[in-house]
Amino acid sequence: MTALLEIENLHARVDGKPILKGVSLSIAPGEVHAIMGPNGSGKSTLAFVLAGHEAYEVTDGSIRFGDEDLLAMEPEERAHAGLFLAMQYPVEIPGVGNLYFLRQALNAVRKARGLEEISAAEFLRKAREEARRLGIGEELLKRDLNVGFSGGEKKRNEILQMALLEPRLAVLDETDSGLDIDALRVVAEGVNRMRSPERGFLVITHYQRLLEYIVPDVVHVMVDGRIRRTGGPELARELEARGYEAFVGRLAA
Amino acid sequence: MAERIGRRRQIAPDPSFAARFEELTRRLSEPQPLAQARARAFARFFELGIPTRRDEAWKFTDVTRAVNRPMRLAEPRPVAVELLAPYRLGGEQAHRLVFLNGRFAPELSDCARLDGRITVTSLAELARTRPELLAHSLDALDDGRSFTALNAALVEDGAWIELAAGSQLAEPLQLLFITSGREEAVMAHPRCILRLGPACALTLIETHVGLGEAAALTNLVVQLSLAEGAFLAHDRLAFAGANQTLLAKLDGELHARSRYCQTTVVVGGALVRTEQELRIEGAEAECLLAGVALPRAHETVDNFVRVHHRAGGSHSDQHFKSIVADRGHHVFAGKIIVHPGAQKTNAYQKNDNLLLGDNAEVDTKPELEIYADDVKCSHGATCSDLDASALFYLRARGLDLETSRALLMHAFAREVIDRLRDESARALAERMVTARLGERAPLLRAEPLEEAS
Repeated sequence: MTALLEIENLHARVDGKPILKGVSLSIAPGEVHAIMGPNGSGKSTLAFVLAGHEAYEVTDGSIRFGDEDLLAMEPEERAHAGLFLAMQYPVEIPGVGNLYFLRQALNAVRKARGLEEISAAEFLRKAREEARRLGIGEELLKRDLNVGFSGGEKKRNEILQMALLEPRLAVLDETDSGLDIDALRVVAEGVNRMRSPERGFLVITHYQRLLEYIVPDVVHVMVDGRIRRTGGPELARELEARGYEAFVGRLAA
Repeated sequence: MAERIGRRRQIAPDPSFAARFEELTRRLSEPQPLAQARARAFARFFELGIPTRRDEAWKFTDVTRAVNRPMRLAEPRPVAVELLAPYRLGGEQAHRLVFLNGRFAPELSDCARLDGRITVTSLAELARTRPELLAHSLDALDDGRSFTALNAALVEDGAWIELAAGSQLAEPLQLLFITSGREEAVMAHPRCILRLGPACALTLIETHVGLGEAAALTNLVVQLSLAEGAFLAHDRLAFAGANQTLLAKLDGELHARSRYCQTTVVVGGALVRTEQELRIEGAEAECLLAGVALPRAHETVDNFVRVHHRAGGSHSDQHFKSIVADRGHHVFAGKIIVHPGAQKTNAYQKNDNLLLGDNAEVDTKPELEIYADDVKCSHGATCSDLDASALFYLRARGLDLETSRALLMHAFAREVIDRLRDESARALAERMVTARLGERAPLLRAEPLEEAS
């Protein structure tokens, strides 16, 4: 079976500073992978490289997304092909209405996938239904994109976008940061509802807590730009119990 | 040693101005007080000369080329009614004064519903019926500026508008200025005097529309006074022609507890200079100014603002923005002056600019001058390309680069457009901004979606 995402020997740098130093990773359709690691290990860099942020320069390696060369694609082409990045710090964009933006984004993606534009009525119905499940009020839908949203509201809004755009691969970059336990549960349920045999997830997190709600198939430990260890969900619990430092120390020894 | 020309603060006006002045005074043959007031103003204009960039008030804009050359006095040129239709704002109930090349055009105006609450007299009529009043009014404003003096010397028409105490008009008043030339360069010098009595309220829509490719100068002066507790919303839209210059001077005084909200959108014009001097003379007055300009090609938009706080407990806010493309040029020179004794003043000033190309230019000079010790004041300016993280965010959701850029530019302009008081003015401003930013842009809408049934 073809992998959904195939990362091989990925090297990347920011401002000339090497961050990723040979990452290899393979996600099959239907799988949920988690990447854990201490701050500064390169987790978020990997997320931005996947989404195509131009500040992150790939110096070696390759990424295949299905049959396509991901690194050859513009950020919007990656979105069209079915990649979604739920950002750690969603950007506030004053003057752009949240609902309006959601519909623009959905239609851009549908158009690229050869689907018809969604009608305003159908869009509103879908958006409201997903919003209700995520506990996003009507007032938040009508506000400008992420403007004045709390940390938790921003994260829910990311999951709302994910639900509407229906990606093949969703990358969640520290979606749990800044969430209280109730919000965490709502967000995790939003993700779990979308799990399917075709769809893959890459969940980036610092803490094991999120992985109690979104139970991964595979857990990777990233340290200093490389994946140092790969295992099952029990690896996350081991990290939680022993801490990164001991882990890093042992690895380094 | 003779001073070199390039170092002078002003240069002598083109001799043709004297010829035009002769021509005008002969044609009008006005009674003494008015003729004398004009003559004084014209002498003042020659004394002040045409400002060069050595003049601090014109530091970033060269006005000499556009203005200091032979121009005829503009004749009112007939305009097809349907051409005006998109610019008639304020709805069915609005009072509307249309000016063709600076002259009041009653046949195109809507004055039938004017009643005792509001008095409107064209300046040409005022010159005939109450010349001493107009003379007094021309004399009353000497701001040391050449073009104000030139306006007083050459003014042919305009409007005198008065609201009686307590008149609160729900329907807007539109002043629609149409400028069109054929081949020769023309100039017009309209003047509007607007007086709001105590506790009056009015929405004023001032619209400048340029038709045709010919060169033209519109040199407008507006004198404004808001008595105690008066409220004026002032929507200004300027869509000048590619070879037209618009100089719009506003002089205003705000008395106690009066409120003035001005919103300006400039799309088009070789040179558009809005110059304003607002004096807060009474306590707890409010003065809110916002503007967005979109110069491109070789266009210049110059905002020159002075807000004086002479009384305590008042509030002023300036927020001017620009989106500058090609070799476009935007100038913001704004100053807040808090005079001695004007305690508890809140005064803010902000200038945000988007530069879209290597040749785009922005000159910004926000200034504070404070002579009181218990005030809150701030000023600031930003200049940048579109925000890279916002662009990435939109693209990561599937919007292409061009659409993302257009969306962000719209969003940037929308903050000002949304402040326009009149709905039809807002809609027209949106259309003009959309047309300028390119059809690819997703439409700018206050409400993103119609409610589904």
